[in-house]
Amino acid sequence: MKKIIQNELTEEIKSGRNVRLIFFGLALMVVLFLILDIFLGSVNIRPTDVLRAVFNHSNSNLETIIIKFRFPKAITALTVGVALSLSGLQMQTVFRNPMAGPYVLGISSGASLGVAFVIMGFSANISPDNISGLGNWILVAASWVGAGAVMLLIMIISSRVKDVITVLILGIMLSSGISAIVMIMQYFSSESMLKSYILWTMGSLGNLTSGQLNVLLISVATGVILSLFSSKMLNALLLGENYAGSIGLNVKFARTIIFVCTSILAGSVTAFCGPIGFIGIAVPHIVRILFRTSDHRILIPGTILTGGAVMLISDIISQLPGSKSVLPVNAVTSLIGIPVVIWIILGNRKYSGTF
Amino acid sequence: MMENIKEILNLDSLKIGYQSGKSKKVLLPPITSSAGRGELIAVIGRNGVGKSTLLRTLTGLQLPLGGNIFYYGKKISGYSKMELAQKVGFISTEVVKVSNMKVYDLVALGRFPHTNWIGKIESDDRSKINDALAKTSMQTFSMKFVSRLSDGERQKVMIARLLAQDASIMIMDEPTAFIDITGKYEILQLMHTLTHTSDKTIIFSTHDLQMAINQSDKVWLILENELIEGAPEDLMIAGAFDHLFDSSVVDFNSEDGTFSFRNNTKGSIYIEGKGHKRHWTEKAISRAGFHVSKEKTNPYIIIPSGNNNFWKLSVGSYTYECTSLYELIKCLDRMPQSI
Repeated sequence: MKKIIQNELTEEIKSGRNVRLIFFGLALMVVLFLILDIFLGSVNIRPTDVLRAVFNHSNSNLETIIIKFRFPKAITALTVGVALSLSGLQMQTVFRNPMAGPYVLGISSGASLGVAFVIMGFSANISPDNISGLGNWILVAASWVGAGAVMLLIMIISSRVKDVITVLILGIMLSSGISAIVMIMQYFSSESMLKSYILWTMGSLGNLTSGQLNVLLISVATGVILSLFSSKMLNALLLGENYAGSIGLNVKFARTIIFVCTSILAGSVTAFCGPIGFIGIAVPHIVRILFRTSDHRILIPGTILTGGAVMLISDIISQLPGSKSVLPVNAVTSLIGIPVVIWIILGNRKYSGTF
Repeated sequence: MMENIKEILNLDSLKIGYQSGKSKKVLLPPITSSAGRGELIAVIGRNGVGKSTLLRTLTGLQLPLGGNIFYYGKKISGYSKMELAQKVGFISTEVVKVSNMKVYDLVALGRFPHTNWIGKIESDDRSKINDALAKTSMQTFSMKFVSRLSDGERQKVMIARLLAQDASIMIMDEPTAFIDITGKYEILQLMHTLTHTSDKTIIFSTHDLQMAINQSDKVWLILENELIEGAPEDLMIAGAFDHLFDSSVVDFNSEDGTFSFRNNTKGSIYIEGKGHKRHWTEKAISRAGFHVSKEKTNPYIIIPSGNNNFWKLSVGSYTYECTSLYELIKCLDRMPQSI
């Protein structure tokens, strides 16, 4: 008996050490990729010049590229990765659906609809490229409302339909429906409105003004704090609504917090960077494989670090270091995320209904 | 007065059912009952009669449509969700399907109503968790993944989680459904031990009447329009269980709490002999559709005394010998004339 407990203790200590080691490795990767993302780009700049630009403020041309463009872009990539992955993790737990994510379930589409209403419904002047101050907040709020509305619909659907693939298909239907509405809006909108909307849908990490980056950072920080606060509730929700309620969780309150948090995270990113796919669904699975746990007190910080790292890699790849051209970041994230999603679907026999 | 002190759950004309919008569907007439410390209470009734609704209402997962539930003399609505979870725990047939969740983590979730905002497990929680694992003899499983357990093992882990929750009242909705025979009896044994040595009150629903009659201290028998309560033996004497069954098809024996199908259509037969072997011979022939006669018939069965494992079937002046009951019944069935 003593021996069993002894073994367990050592096992626990071992797993604790492993967890710390993985966290350390992930943090290291985030820092490394952040530096690489600043150093590599479509314009070849020697590392020594980068350092000079950062510390000496000498060469004005290079300084502009590094300080005004590459640095904010890297920070945006990091923030976007964190936000999308966290919203994906929360959605997977709250819907008890391994296939949930802001993009596949149409939350990002909902956010786009919100943005489309602002750009094409009111004025081409309130487009991400040329607004500032309060306009940024109007745009982001519209995006939250759009994301929240779809999130609410998915919540209602998944409370009735338990099958994960069915919910997924309904999510795809929803986003197609929303695209149709946006298409109709495009048909009736003026040329200038249409142009600013199309530019926005291309999605980019590099077009944010410093005011927009501030709005994004504040929104995502709020979402991160809310999600840290919700980790105990998420753990209880893993058991399903009935058991969660029986151990003292206020399920309605928990769902509301997570609903608000997910809408803010996914909505803010979509408002400024356009719909970016497959990060939200794929990263939480990578984190679960890394840590082999279901405990959100580990999964949430793990997802923050992994999401940041994956998005930074995607950004580095999209810049095609050494060449003059730049790929759309959405294409890169899809190519990284889709294999993970396929792997989940094919492994579904083993996981059937679990996540 | 002694009983009053021991009573920890009181139902005062409780109405259960569903409410959607303004329309209410009340399932049973108002229930007034109670449960004492350390009692094992079986809830019996047909499917859809309201067993689950009653248990969910008692757990606070569903609101009562009228009347009151008192835990330790205090109304259920007077407890916050966390406070209630420290008094009342719940398990059902619902399977927890989570990959990457270790048994220890699942049991640790039982500490939910006791831990701080982020769910930090302190040393006191740790000892409660280990204690729960020990009581359910699941210590060796603590680092295994829940998704790899058998149904019976998983249910024991769920009970361990309930123990870690430290609730004195455990509500179990069909805790032994979908579990194989060995697992079933292990869980039943565990429930028995918990009520008798750990002073837990367990209210469980079951479809296994035999199990309920043999093990529980009290039965809540839910019929279409009433709830009858009492010790299982009291209900036997009152013949309350007879209402559960369609008496033209099933015959309930209120002497030993067993059932048989009414198919005594093939005639009567007399058995000569006694003891253990006679008991099972009677069972076998009544299953085959014969009635055990008190008077001598032709043919009749003779059970020789001693350890010889054979039966004699006397037909007129002939005597057949059979080496098993299986063979005996085959012999009887082959008889051309009606007996």
